[in-house]
Amino acid sequence: MAMITINKVENNHITNKEERYRHLFVIIESLNNELIPSSLEMLGEARRLMDHFNQKYNLNEKVIAIHLGDGIKDLSQDLIYYGADAVIYADDPHLKYPINKIFTKIISRIATDPNSIREISPEYISAFKKPRYMFFLADSIGRHLSSTVLAELDSGLASDINKLVISDLDIKHQHKTKGETITYKKTLEMYRPDFSGFLWTTILCLDNKNPEIEKEFHPQACSIIPGAFQPIIKDTKRTGIISQYRPQFDEEDLKIKVLKQELVKNPVQFENYKIIVSFGRGIKENAEENIKLIEKLAKLLNAEIGISLPISKKIFHLSEKYDSIYITPNRVVGTSGRKVTPIIYIAVGISGAIQHLDGMKESDFIIAINPDENSPIKDVCDVFIKGRMEDVIPVIIEELEKRSGQMKEKEIEVNTYGKL
Amino acid sequence: MTLNIAVLVKLEPDFSEGSVSYNPDGTLNRAETKSRLGAHSAIASLAAFYTKVKYGGYVSVCSMGPPMAEIALQEAQLICDADELHLYSDRLFASADTLATAEVLKQGIKKMNSGKEMDIVFSGHRASDGETGQTGPQTAWKLGFTFLGNVIDFSVDLNNRFILAKRLIALPGFYDIVEEIQAPLPVFIAIDPLYKPTFDTISLRLTSSKYLKEAKERADSYKTYLNVLDHKKLELDPRLVGLPGSPTIVHKVEKIPKARTTRIAELIEGHDREGIINSVTKILQLIQK
Repeated sequence: MAMITINKVENNHITNKEERYRHLFVIIESLNNELIPSSLEMLGEARRLMDHFNQKYNLNEKVIAIHLGDGIKDLSQDLIYYGADAVIYADDPHLKYPINKIFTKIISRIATDPNSIREISPEYISAFKKPRYMFFLADSIGRHLSSTVLAELDSGLASDINKLVISDLDIKHQHKTKGETITYKKTLEMYRPDFSGFLWTTILCLDNKNPEIEKEFHPQACSIIPGAFQPIIKDTKRTGIISQYRPQFDEEDLKIKVLKQELVKNPVQFENYKIIVSFGRGIKENAEENIKLIEKLAKLLNAEIGISLPISKKIFHLSEKYDSIYITPNRVVGTSGRKVTPIIYIAVGISGAIQHLDGMKESDFIIAINPDENSPIKDVCDVFIKGRMEDVIPVIIEELEKRSGQMKEKEIEVNTYGKL
Repeated sequence: MTLNIAVLVKLEPDFSEGSVSYNPDGTLNRAETKSRLGAHSAIASLAAFYTKVKYGGYVSVCSMGPPMAEIALQEAQLICDADELHLYSDRLFASADTLATAEVLKQGIKKMNSGKEMDIVFSGHRASDGETGQTGPQTAWKLGFTFLGNVIDFSVDLNNRFILAKRLIALPGFYDIVEEIQAPLPVFIAIDPLYKPTFDTISLRLTSSKYLKEAKERADSYKTYLNVLDHKKLELDPRLVGLPGSPTIVHKVEKIPKARTTRIAELIEGHDREGIINSVTKILQLIQK
């Protein structure tokens, strides 16, 4: 009889532990009362994951959008239409700008207060301690906010994620499980492309089940690359709970003041060009001379110049001029930079890591110049010129100059090719 | 008064051509790649130097890493004329994720400059190998300091003890914003790659060259400025550092599957002049449509 009781207690203990963590919290960003579009991409992926989750585990856990700002209440309905089951918003003049310290405290309080979910899921409220999962955007706001919130919640964070899976995993780990195999249920597998774009690292946030260092690590959280996921189609028939959170502020924190915010136009406007010429590591034999060659080609075609991600790491020794004009993050094409869809995309010396391809493969017509016929870029291009850029580009330049000369003779304006 | 300034730096793979080595599949060959002070760490060191020149201050530089990471500290000292170097090195710290790393750095920063509180802590934007950009803000949070990221310019009001910073906030697919923000000290600043200090008065230039000369002398004998601290000296609970203190693990590393073939490319050989000229014709036709 005694044995049975003990077993029962242990079981309860295990169940209780799991019940402390519920729902997927999505941290929404907006600017001047307009939702940042990538927030809706996160909500879309959250919706897909939790639909699958609830079906698989026969549960009723929610996608909860957390939204802080000033005058943002009216955006709540849209968050429901785009996939949230519930919205918790805090609307206050002190929240006009996303000041890291203030936002971190409020988000952390919402995430650890059982009253937050009182209306949303009363059945889970008694045991609730923290969210099960949490999503942030991997932009200049969310990247830092996710770091500080997770430091406050004392749990793990994976950054720059572009694929997510929830599954039960058998884990055998020296520290986490003391070498035993233990099944971790409902684990969020967070896939992160590395800097080269060729490797995917899967990050897990796991409780320490090793008795010597036992500790629970929840929520399992990540920041998501803008553009990585698709939003769901806006569905105005969707309904959900919208609940207001009344934030408290620490006097000391209100001394942090945003004096001014100015929108700046990105000097690189890919959208205004019909042609984009991008270069990658293939310029290496004579980086500066090759960039000059590409510059000349781009000028003749009236094209904007892009770069691949590895190039942005300043891997070549260039003169200050070329370095400051071309080796800048705002020229990176790919999921870690910008997605482009010009009429013609010319990839010079780019092998084609998937994160680059995802940023340009929807261009109308794609030409690659590369000596290696096995480069992945060949699978997404229309014309593959197999050769060294040093040999190929001069031929193109010569031909373009010849033709523009002919056009001049016909008194037609030069260099109007690409202009919109 | 002068400022207590700290800088967090990291030893990183050197991605510049000639130092970096890639495997045939395009991934980094770590064994063959040289290491040095990370590029973003160098910018953080430069920001600390500027602060020291302009406002006066005591600069402490720290890094968590293996014993060889002291070369990164030396390189940073050469940039910022550091008065003190801290290396947090212990087998127990190995394989830490950002939260466990932040725990070590927080404790180390508290022990800098004989335990005086720091006024400004600088870090780089992100490491060029791990690339998470999380360690800075998490260290700031554990210290209880106000975190300011993507800082492209700043000035300090010594009398009122606050900082005025300009930040570049990039929201991909939306807008870029330049923000001016004011915050009381102490602050933690993650410096943006676009930061460029200017020594625009004669007096600043004179002070700068004086300190640079001193920096060179100091870096030549950097070991006399170096303190190596392990978990005991840092008074750290082993359960909060290294693998035991890391919520996250790397579960697997795999090659990202090749993209689906979406187009069948026409192959033109590089020596096929006529083929290339035909492509030019095609380009011109397409954009004139």
